[in-house]
Amino acid sequence: MLRTSHLLLKLVLVSFVVGGLFVIYLDARITATFNDKMWDLPAKVYARPLELFAGAPLSPDDLSYELDVLGYRSVTSARNRGEVSRFRNRFEIYTRGFDFPDEREPGRRVLIEFSGDRVKSMSASGGGIDLMRLEPVRIGGIYPQHGEDRVLARLDDVPLSLRQGLMVVEDRDFNRHWGFSIVGISRAALSNVRSGQVVAGGSTITQQLVKNYYLTSERTIVRKLTELVMAVLLELHYDKDQILESYINEVYLGQEGRHSVHGFALASQHYFDKPLERLGLHEQALMIGMIKGPSLYNPQRNPKRALERRNLVLDLMAAQGVISPEQATVARAMPLGLNKKRRIQDSFPAFLDLVRRQLRRDYRDEDLTTQGLSIFTSFDPLLQRKLESSTTIVMDQLDPRDELQSATVVTRFDTGEVVALSGGRKPRFAGFNRALDVRRPAGSLLKPATYLVALERPSEYSLATRLSDAPLTVKLGGAKSWQPKNFDLQSHEDVLLYQALAKSYNLASARLGMELGLDSVIDMLARLGVEQGVPRVPALLLGAGEYSPMDMAAMYQSIAAGGFRMPLRSIRNIVDANGTSLKRYPLEYDRTASIQSVHLLHYALRAVVREGTGRGVYRYLPENFAVAGKTGTTNDGRDSWFAGFSGDLLAVSWIGRDDNGSTKLTGASGALKVWAHFMDSASKQPLAYRMPDGIQPQWIDNRNGYLTGDGCPNSHMLPFIIGSEPTQRTHCSPRQSGPKSGSGIKTWFESLFGGGG
Amino acid sequence: MSVEKAPQHAVVTPDARVPDVPFRSATPSASTAWKPLLAKADQATNRGDYEQAMALLERAQRIDPDSAEVYLGMAKTHSAKGDDMQARATAERGRFYCSGKIQCDALRGYTR
Repeated sequence: MLRTSHLLLKLVLVSFVVGGLFVIYLDARITATFNDKMWDLPAKVYARPLELFAGAPLSPDDLSYELDVLGYRSVTSARNRGEVSRFRNRFEIYTRGFDFPDEREPGRRVLIEFSGDRVKSMSASGGGIDLMRLEPVRIGGIYPQHGEDRVLARLDDVPLSLRQGLMVVEDRDFNRHWGFSIVGISRAALSNVRSGQVVAGGSTITQQLVKNYYLTSERTIVRKLTELVMAVLLELHYDKDQILESYINEVYLGQEGRHSVHGFALASQHYFDKPLERLGLHEQALMIGMIKGPSLYNPQRNPKRALERRNLVLDLMAAQGVISPEQATVARAMPLGLNKKRRIQDSFPAFLDLVRRQLRRDYRDEDLTTQGLSIFTSFDPLLQRKLESSTTIVMDQLDPRDELQSATVVTRFDTGEVVALSGGRKPRFAGFNRALDVRRPAGSLLKPATYLVALERPSEYSLATRLSDAPLTVKLGGAKSWQPKNFDLQSHEDVLLYQALAKSYNLASARLGMELGLDSVIDMLARLGVEQGVPRVPALLLGAGEYSPMDMAAMYQSIAAGGFRMPLRSIRNIVDANGTSLKRYPLEYDRTASIQSVHLLHYALRAVVREGTGRGVYRYLPENFAVAGKTGTTNDGRDSWFAGFSGDLLAVSWIGRDDNGSTKLTGASGALKVWAHFMDSASKQPLAYRMPDGIQPQWIDNRNGYLTGDGCPNSHMLPFIIGSEPTQRTHCSPRQSGPKSGSGIKTWFESLFGGGG
Repeated sequence: MSVEKAPQHAVVTPDARVPDVPFRSATPSASTAWKPLLAKADQATNRGDYEQAMALLERAQRIDPDSAEVYLGMAKTHSAKGDDMQARATAERGRFYCSGKIQCDALRGYTR
């Protein structure tokens, strides 16, 4: 008897200790994480803001698209922020305004008129506007593992009717109870007994918060008890306002793709495209109603059910005196008022991937997913749309059976900013980002490095140097040797240096490279920005190695910029949650190649599209639109490349198969088409011809590279680094007329290319 | 000049830019909307806020990438900051776009 009661006492003691320890453990969990949880904010990633000014090269349809992705509502007269009215080439826009890192762009009503594909004038009620920015499109976020987006609301920002409505529907005793409500539990228990299963929770707002924060959704007695204890503990540590604020920011209100929508502030943007404080009663009631079943009452999928639920909430609010019966009647008559915004978030996985990788060099994952940073990027939604459209159109023509893949990188080469990116044929699908991650030989895309090495030795080489295209055997040690072949399997007569590049002759290029030395070519690739994946073998001269479209973009970026290497940037700056600028990624130029030599290389790359392997670009581009570029094809047509630039954009396109099989395409029959189609729709400026100091054009006989005169047979004008002109001369005497002789020749030559300046 | 000959298979697309449309390269400084940004950048440089100055200048450059004046402003800011390497490289690149002796000489001043 005594023994039994001893045992009982021990048992009671043990369970007290265990229970006490459990409570202490729960308490520690709450106090350790509650504050942190309140402030978990993923980083927001923004596109570049669209700059508007008189003379801006922009089409009315592009402005329309930009406003569309920004979620502007089309109306007959723009009276509220976020509205636009368009009549042909006239736009009336009521902008929302935006806090940029440098200054605030005010929300205002502006009138914008177009003339053709340019902004003609801009004005507001106060007079003309010289320069303004639209708010940037938010293209995504850097989320923690569980994929939650968040916009924080302060309790003061939450409309009183929303707070009271929430309590009326979810927890009438909120301001009185200690974390649980006996009345609520009894009510729930009664209905559970009646139905014979657990159907109602009877949870208070505090319990729901605990459940969302710390517990799983299973319905067991132990879990329910834990929830109860934790709710009481939460009430002991924090006041009602803190708990309510957390609830308002935590409550689950649906899904947007992979990301769940938590909190009223985010839901308000998601469903209505408005900040919380501007929601009407009908919109507030809809959100309150959704808490009970975010998917059941999802207004997008189940509008009818959502409307019924919303009106029920309005009735409750009126019955409890939160709103007047008149207000309820008006609100009941309103439509759901859903946001019709195009889903733009996370639609550009390839670019976001690039941004994320750049960020991870400087930030820890934790900072990115919790600190509420704003990341301003160079992404241009208008160019991205054109790139996606060109990729789809051309790839569907080339490969209706959908077996090939494609990737393209687009930069503005004056600043080195990446502005558009496609990582696969279906650019909206996240997955293998081919723009960054394929590792392929580059074929003739590497050849310009060899030619640039030569052109940097003006005492030995010029564009008019004669090169042999005779067969060649390079001993590789042992019994092995390398015997390159031309694409047409023929060898050609001697050709001038620029022609060898334009026609992409392998034999002449390999001979030139061996003459110059592999090390000097490897060094040049490094100076142009290609430092990895470069093998020290003769086949390098014809493109051996492992390169991504991004690597090739770095190389051609340096060439397009005139011999200046700069980091390819996707991020402009990063701002913290308080709007303080944390980090800028500055523009930095590094001149790594001779300006004059790169100028000559530009000439040869223009010849590629005028008379060489890249002529096909002019099936897409207007004939007078100057561009420069290079085709690349690898063995058995496994990879089809084209890299090139106009006056404003650089693009590198690649086509290949994921299994590395043959595409049956050359650079010209494949990637060139994607490139040219895109350039035709996107580039606004042809390549200008700007002759640097120290360059002088000369008439050359195209067949032998001798100096000749205007009007002589095969005469062709080429630029030379002064002092590198050929010394031999043809017997033809030049015509003595017109501006094409003497000192005017340089100006005339520049004008031929539509450039100057 | 053979480079000016039309390629044999060239087909001009229907929406082709007609030759008489003035491209920006043919009409230098088509817009001067960035001028106020330069003035603000100058002020920022003068008070030693080089970060702000460069941010403003980069914005100006995005609006008109072919403006030698913007390059000059950048070179000036780099130089004021004491970064002579960047001042030099920026001025060298700006020389592609300069016109007139005064402007070109001003840029050349930083390349020495």
